[in-house]
Amino acid sequence: MTIIKKIKDNFFLATVALIYVIIFIAKPAMGMAAVKSSGYYIKEMLMIMPVIFVLTALLDMWVPKEKIMHYLGKEAKVKGLFLSFVVGSISAGPVYAAFPMCVMLHKKGASLRNIVVILSSWAVIKIPMLLNEMKFLGPKFMAVRWLLTVIAITVFSWIAAQIIRDNDLPKAAPAPSGLHLNKDACIGCRLCVNSYPELFGMEGNKVHPKPYKILDRVKLKNAINACPVKAISYPENEEIDSSDPRQSQ
Amino acid sequence: MDIFTLVIWIGTLVFLGISLAKDKPKTMRALKMALAMGKGMAPSILSIIFAIGLILTLFPPALIAGLVSNQPVLLATTVAALFGTITLVPAFIAFPLVGTLIHAGVNVVPSVAFLTTLTMVGVVTFPLEKQAFGIKFTAVRNGLSFLFAIAIALIMGVVI
Repeated sequence: MTIIKKIKDNFFLATVALIYVIIFIAKPAMGMAAVKSSGYYIKEMLMIMPVIFVLTALLDMWVPKEKIMHYLGKEAKVKGLFLSFVVGSISAGPVYAAFPMCVMLHKKGASLRNIVVILSSWAVIKIPMLLNEMKFLGPKFMAVRWLLTVIAITVFSWIAAQIIRDNDLPKAAPAPSGLHLNKDACIGCRLCVNSYPELFGMEGNKVHPKPYKILDRVKLKNAINACPVKAISYPENEEIDSSDPRQSQ
Repeated sequence: MDIFTLVIWIGTLVFLGISLAKDKPKTMRALKMALAMGKGMAPSILSIIFAIGLILTLFPPALIAGLVSNQPVLLATTVAALFGTITLVPAFIAFPLVGTLIHAGVNVVPSVAFLTTLTMVGVVTFPLEKQAFGIKFTAVRNGLSFLFAIAIALIMGVVI
């Protein structure tokens, strides 16, 4: 059972492995060549990947994103545009982790254009990725492509804002009541499990909230703050902050 | 280790040192997050690398270069952009791959189009984006991204 599930979860990996087995049986020399050429990329990845992940996480941790976003609603002009680029460029996590955050920003009054800029730069411009690009394709290549990308996003976000109206976006879906976990955003880092093991458990490589009767507000708040992709929400929690005298349970 | 990798390592280690000195728990959280990202992506990265090894053995870069340069640039670029739209190669593997292809003589313009649509246009994330922002927003954003990716590639061809 578990083996079948493992193969299902890693379908692509299993397919690639199968093709290698076939090639090694049919044409061993070709199989060796393929492994050799993969080896080059693996070596390159091992040299650069750890440092890229660490740099991404550090940037995400140290740049005060919340503070920056606070300005986005009011400043739709140049400053807002600039800050949107900053938010997108320094954030960690896959682009779909940005969706819930951007929906929230739009509700709080951020302009459509800024939302488009955040999403697009989140997907394309990443400072650690720029360094990686420089390594393999050269500084000039990286700089020109970066500059053109920034210009392109600036222009097409303006066009998008002319075509799309605010009410084209889905009407604010009622905020999910109670504890909500956005599984699409979850990267399975277990930080919430560490903060509140009674409530959060792992199911495969994603977090799954366990059934609960009473919530420990303090632990929950720690878990919500610990989540690097802001996948956990608990609406009532917004009212209680650290000054709230009601401590656990 | 080449100079760029070295600079990134040194810069990050300095950053890490300052971070540790300023706020240890926060730094540990960042490191855990980095580890989680690495662990989460390792299987897919490995399988994609082995798939690339396989593809480059079956279709050597020189052969791809020959194929691409026989086509009109605009056609090759559009196809490359479409390819980037539908494939799921993480950007940091795409850079060395595109590096290999360009060194083998593949035209810069389609290469850039591929690189840009790879990250900017999201077919895989389209359903999620639609759910969050509606069909019009998602279609307009991704459509414009595609067109501008081709524009970026064409300009790169002139500048580089």
